[in-house]
Amino acid sequence: MSRLHRFLRSPEAIAGTAILALLFAMALTAPLLFPGDPQAIAGPALLPPFQDWSLPLGTDRLGRDVLAELFHGARTSLAVGLSAAGAALLIGAVVGTLAGFAGGLIDEVLMRITDAFQTVPGFLLALAFVSIVGPSLGVVVAAIALGAWTGPARVARAEVLSIRERDYVAGARVIGMHPLEIAFREVLPNALPPVLALSSVIVAAAILTEAALSFLGLGDPNRVTWGAMIAEGRAVLRTTPFLSIIPGIALVLTVLGVYLAGEGVVETTAVRRSLS
Amino acid sequence: MSLLAVSGLTKRYRRGGGTVAAVDGVAFAIEPGETLALAGPSGSGKSTIARLVLRLTEPDAGTIQFEGADFRSLGGSALRARRARLQMVFQDPLAAFNPRATVARVLDDPLRIHGIASRTERPRRIAALLERVGLGADLAPRAIHEISGGQRQRVAIARAIATKPSLIVLDEAVSALDVSVRGRILDLLLDLQATERIAYLFISHDLGVVRAVAHRLVILDAGRVAESGDARAVIGNPQSAIGRALVAAAPRLNRTTAP
Repeated sequence: MSRLHRFLRSPEAIAGTAILALLFAMALTAPLLFPGDPQAIAGPALLPPFQDWSLPLGTDRLGRDVLAELFHGARTSLAVGLSAAGAALLIGAVVGTLAGFAGGLIDEVLMRITDAFQTVPGFLLALAFVSIVGPSLGVVVAAIALGAWTGPARVARAEVLSIRERDYVAGARVIGMHPLEIAFREVLPNALPPVLALSSVIVAAAILTEAALSFLGLGDPNRVTWGAMIAEGRAVLRTTPFLSIIPGIALVLTVLGVYLAGEGVVETTAVRRSLS
Repeated sequence: MSLLAVSGLTKRYRRGGGTVAAVDGVAFAIEPGETLALAGPSGSGKSTIARLVLRLTEPDAGTIQFEGADFRSLGGSALRARRARLQMVFQDPLAAFNPRATVARVLDDPLRIHGIASRTERPRRIAALLERVGLGADLAPRAIHEISGGQRQRVAIARAIATKPSLIVLDEAVSALDVSVRGRILDLLLDLQATERIAYLFISHDLGVVRAVAHRLVILDAGRVAESGDARAVIGNPQSAIGRALVAAAPRLNRTTAP
């Protein structure tokens, strides 16, 4: 049975993939379906949803199209979530591999740095970083990655510690391979699967952190984000709660979708590994 | 001058409160083109000696002279370059290769690292190496886990001879193979020795195999040399208690040495 087949047999994986597919479709079609600035005023302010079919989800306090904002917000959430998680996994894998493979003083130094980052709550770190450097998409990505790379680093190091004692690493040394080549070509690829298993949790957390930063007004001001939409709706929460509820639901569904799809992938590869 | 001369080789490990000497003042020498066997029960320090000689583990004391130079004083790129002359074949041919590797990549690495052949020339060299160890060149694109144990050990030997070494350490290199395959691998090793004049440090617990390939024999017990000498002489008339026990434990030898 193919991997795809097995993947599609679990209902969680299907649900997760469907949500993610929808999200990607939203992100990709946003500039086509809603060309122009999603932050431009499109109609009367505070129009409730399902009243005017040219503005299906209504408008916010300034009369901006909520549906357009939702679509464009999906772009930001996905871009930030994926690139922050990618950066965190990359940094974590490299730091963990170097620490585990080199051992000794390098290991000590790298792991104490990891400890230092891990003891500061990731969100506070991101908050401090963005408020010092200033909000822009790249800075937000860096800020989130800064708090998220320690998990992958620890998992990678543990895996590398077990792999570096294997015969094939000794074999690579015997043929005269450079230690850095051994670390990144022989050891790291074999240490990656458990590190990648963390990716769904990290992507989900990154999307939530981005939303939280935006909610506090520390997101990129030139981009629509769901967190900023929730913050915007907070002012009129009692009279028009839908302005916060709609992006809130989008956020919950996205995180759920990422998590379910990620679990599905991990499950399928785990089955494959135990079979081989 | 000996190809490899080891003396006073010592490696201690901390265990509990004190230290245990896994290898304790071991000395031996190997001449070019010769097979020296290291035999002993498990825990006698055979594999530790292999790792010490190859500088995979650093010894606590002792000297290692290889090709007339102090092998222990080498480091970094000088050590990596010299490794071309001193190769190793491991016991478990599956564990000895990166699980993601293909046969071609395994053989490509030493040729690339030591600059033995250009990128365009390497596929031809790989095919020649495979042929030299009795395998078809069509095996090159296959994954390591797809081929049989005997084929894998032949690939390991091909990798070891890729850099034209003067000495190969064979750490229980035939112990994991079944008897018919073992015989053919031993024939291949003897053939390589005859044509390329490669010396072997042959580590085994099986004196039957040792007698078939080794010129000289060192018997180890608890990290020390119990006795050494001409392989047939030692096996025919062991002087040490551990030597007699090892000879008694090898069924094929009992038949020939019984009165």
